[in-house]
Formats: sequence, C-alpha cells, structure tokens
Amino acid sequence: MLYQKIMEKRLSPSGNKMLNNKMKIFSFCNFTKKNKGALEISFGWLFALIAGATILFLAIYFGSRIIGTSDETISAETGKEITILLNPLETSFESAQTTSITIPLETRINNFCSYENPFGKQTLQLDQKRFNQWTETDTDVSSYNKYIFSEEQVEGKTFYLFSKPFDFPFKVANLIYLTSSDDVYCFTGAPNEIKEEISNLNQKNFIVENCTSESIKVCFNEENCEIEVDYSDGEVRKDRDILYFSDIEDSNALMYAAIFSDKEIYECQVKRLMLRLKQLALIYYDKEIIEKNSGCDEGIGTSLISLSNLADDFTDSSALEIIKINAEDIEIRNNAIRCSLW
Amino acid sequence: MVMENWGIKNKKGQLKIQQMAFMLIAVTFLFALVGIFFLAINLYNLQKTATGLEEDNALLLVSKLANSPEFSCGNSFGGSRSNCIDFEKLIVLQGMISKYQNFWGVAKIQIRKIYPEDETLCTSGNYPNCGIIKLLDKNVNSTAFTSNFVSLCRKDLSDNAIYDKCELAVLMVAGEDKG
Repeated sequence: MLYQKIMEKRLSPSGNKMLNNKMKIFSFCNFTKKNKGALEISFGWLFALIAGATILFLAIYFGSRIIGTSDETISAETGKEITILLNPLETSFESAQTTSITIPLETRINNFCSYENPFGKQTLQLDQKRFNQWTETDTDVSSYNKYIFSEEQVEGKTFYLFSKPFDFPFKVANLIYLTSSDDVYCFTGAPNEIKEEISNLNQKNFIVENCTSESIKVCFNEENCEIEVDYSDGEVRKDRDILYFSDIEDSNALMYAAIFSDKEIYECQVKRLMLRLKQLALIYYDKEIIEKNSGCDEGIGTSLISLSNLADDFTDSSALEIIKINAEDIEIRNNAIRCSLW
Repeated sequence: MVMENWGIKNKKGQLKIQQMAFMLIAVTFLFALVGIFFLAINLYNLQKTATGLEEDNALLLVSKLANSPEFSCGNSFGGSRSNCIDFEKLIVLQGMISKYQNFWGVAKIQIRKIYPEDETLCTSGNYPNCGIIKLLDKNVNSTAFTSNFVSLCRKDLSDNAIYDKCELAVLMVAGEDKG
C-alpha cells in the first residue's frame, strides 16, 4: 500500500517534476545552465582528462627514468672502457709508459679507493656534462689489480696517463698516474734524471721550464709552491698535508704518486700496494721451498716472512722507510744467491 | 515512461563507463607491452655491450698478464725476459687462487704447454710432470678463450747442475659471458 502511494505521488505532475529535479542533481557533473560560472562536463570528458593526465604523467616519469638509466649506462660503459684501456699500461722492463684518453664529452672522473682484504679496490665513477649540466651517476666501475694515483676528482676531456713499475724489492705493481690536460704541472729545481724522464714522457701537460701563472708548480727543495718535494727526506708537501715516499733504486714511482694524488687516495693506494706486497712475499717464500727440490738451497725465506708481516702491519706512508730497509736487505741477498727468486 | 527512459539512459551510461574502462585497460596493457619490449631490447644490448667489454678486457689482459708480478719470470732465469711465466710461481699461485678470484676481472685463466705437449693437469703433487695449469676457473658462462704465446720457465736439475728450463706454452684467458 505504501509503495503504491509513493508511486502514485511520483507519477503525478508534481511528483514527475520532483523526479526530474533529482535526476538533474544526481546526474554526474551535469550542471544546469542556470548555474552560472559552472562548466558542463560529462563523465566521459572527465574520465578522459584524468586518464590522459595519468598517461602523460607516467610517460614523462618513465621517459626521465629511461634518460637517467641511459646516462648511468654510458657512465658505466665509459668507466669500464677506461679500466680496460689501462691494461696495456702494464710494463715488463720499461721504466715508464704513457698514453692519453679523449672522451667526447666534458667528464669528471671520481677516483675512489678502499683497502679491505685481500687486495683492496680501485673504483672509478664518471660524471658527464650534458646541456651544460653535470649528470651525476651512482654507477661505479671497480678493479682490483689497478692502482690509479690522482686527485679525488679529475675534470676534462683529455686525460693523460703514465705508469711506472713499483719494485719493493720485487715488482709489486704498476702505478698509474692520471692527470687532466687542463692541469699543467711545471717541475722546477728537479734533479736532472727526473727532468729527463719527464721530458721523455712527452706528456703535453708536463713542463720543466718557463712556468706559466696558471700552471701547478712542483718545486724540488724550494718553497712557496703548490707542491713541494723534499727529495732527500722523501716528503711531498701540499695543502698542509705531508705525504711520505720511499723508493728502491731511485725508481721514483711513489714520488710521482705523492705528487699527483690527494692524501686520502695516496695513503689508501699505498696500503693496497702493501697488501699485494704481503701476498707476493708469501708466493716467493713458497717458490723458494719448491726450488729446493731443484738443488737451490739459499734461504731468504725467513726475511720474506718478516717482510710480509711488516707489510701486513702497515698503517700509513710514514712507515714506508722501515719496510724499505728490510726490502733493500732482501734485494741484496737475492742478487747474491745462485737461484735468484725474482 | 520517464522511469523507462531513465533506466535506458542509466544502462547506456553504464555501458559507456564499461567501454571506457576496457579501453583504458587495453591502452595500459599496450603501453606495458611496448615498455617491456623496449626494456628487453635495451637489456639485450646492455648484456651484449657488457660481454663485448669482457672480451676486450680478456684480449688486452692476455698480452700483458705474463708481465704481472704473480706470473713474470723477472730476472730469475738469466736476464730480463718478456712474456715469460715462472712455472714455480704458478704452482704456488694455484694453491692460493681463492684470494685472486676477482683480481684480474676474468672468468678463466689457463696455461698449456704446447711443446712438449702434455695433457696432464698440474697439481702441486705432480709438478713439473704435467702440461695444463688451470689457474682460475670460475663457475660461470665464459666467452671464447683469447691466447698468447709465452715461455714457461723453471729451475731443473741435471747431473747435479741447476739449469733454467723453458718450454713453449700458451696463456689463455676468457672473460665472463654476461648474456
């Protein structure tokens, strides 16, 4: 009965009007024309706008992500290529080797080093300049058998690399020195053999005379320069930091390392070198045991073990001199024996 | 009559919403497919580049590996020798290779004597009467070997005299196949 009454009321002219009004109110966004200033947007339009905006937002978001990923990829590829190109810098009996790398874009090479066991890690991270803006990436390229000495951040398009073997007393590794063509190093007061070596390298950013005001002055036994080298005491002073070097047979490998790198990089890489020295000393110790079967009977094994222990206890470059004394003693004894180990 | 019209309009509206929803799902699905296709191509290219770089690394490393301190003869076999591998150091290195797993950034390193040829695998037990030294063998897919001829030297004893014995060998290096 009640339902019948309601239906009758709805179907009456007044009821019909009421129903129409209700429909107008509840129809989705179908605002009456009487409502001034309001837009008449159908559901379809609203839906299309929201969907379109979502699709556009997603397209822009994924587009920027893809560009970011491609930057990371390029950075990783270039970093890996640089690491691979360092392989030919491994020397056999040369005293030094040099090469250069040119990258099409302005590039910042970030050099990182860590010295965890067994050999530490050398990491390169590249940032490149695109549309006058540096695109910073998080992709690292690591290697365990390279020792790159440089500032923490080297910037430029062309990079010069030269390498020298580091013997302590046997060959431990090849040290690679990385500099940018934008940084010109001027060596003043250097001993003749160093001047000669630098000139022979033919590296365009190394000069030994006529220093310009923009060049980085590397002075030997002089003061008031950006980098001061105390050759006799085995010290390199820069920015209030003192880096100690100690080379056997005047190879100067660690001296160059101290000149071209930041203190943190230098200390870390030297620590890594000591980790490798420790392992190599153990290899030579075991080699001596094998050689005894072939009739060789000279014993420098215990000295090698103590060298390995010294290298294991290495803390910073100020301790290099103590290891050097030990290494020089072993070198003399190795040269004197019938079956030299290296 | 009004009620009927309202019902028809309502149904039409619902149908339109359904159409729109299906359309949106289809469009999203299409975009997702295109995205996956694009990512798959990108990933494939990236893997190819990574494998190519590994091959390059192996190629450049093989020509210089013999001169690295863990392998090189140095001056211990009568003067400076280039591309000369110390057999004794290799046998020692084989025993401590776990420390060198990632050191050279390659998957496999092998040295094979080619004259006189010997197919026996080297261990510290059968040294020096063997011909193949499997120094590093990571359990991964690897690229083809790149090789370089080297001399494999050791100290030997004959008639109570110690002499340097050098044999012809090939140093083989393979990178990791990232594909």
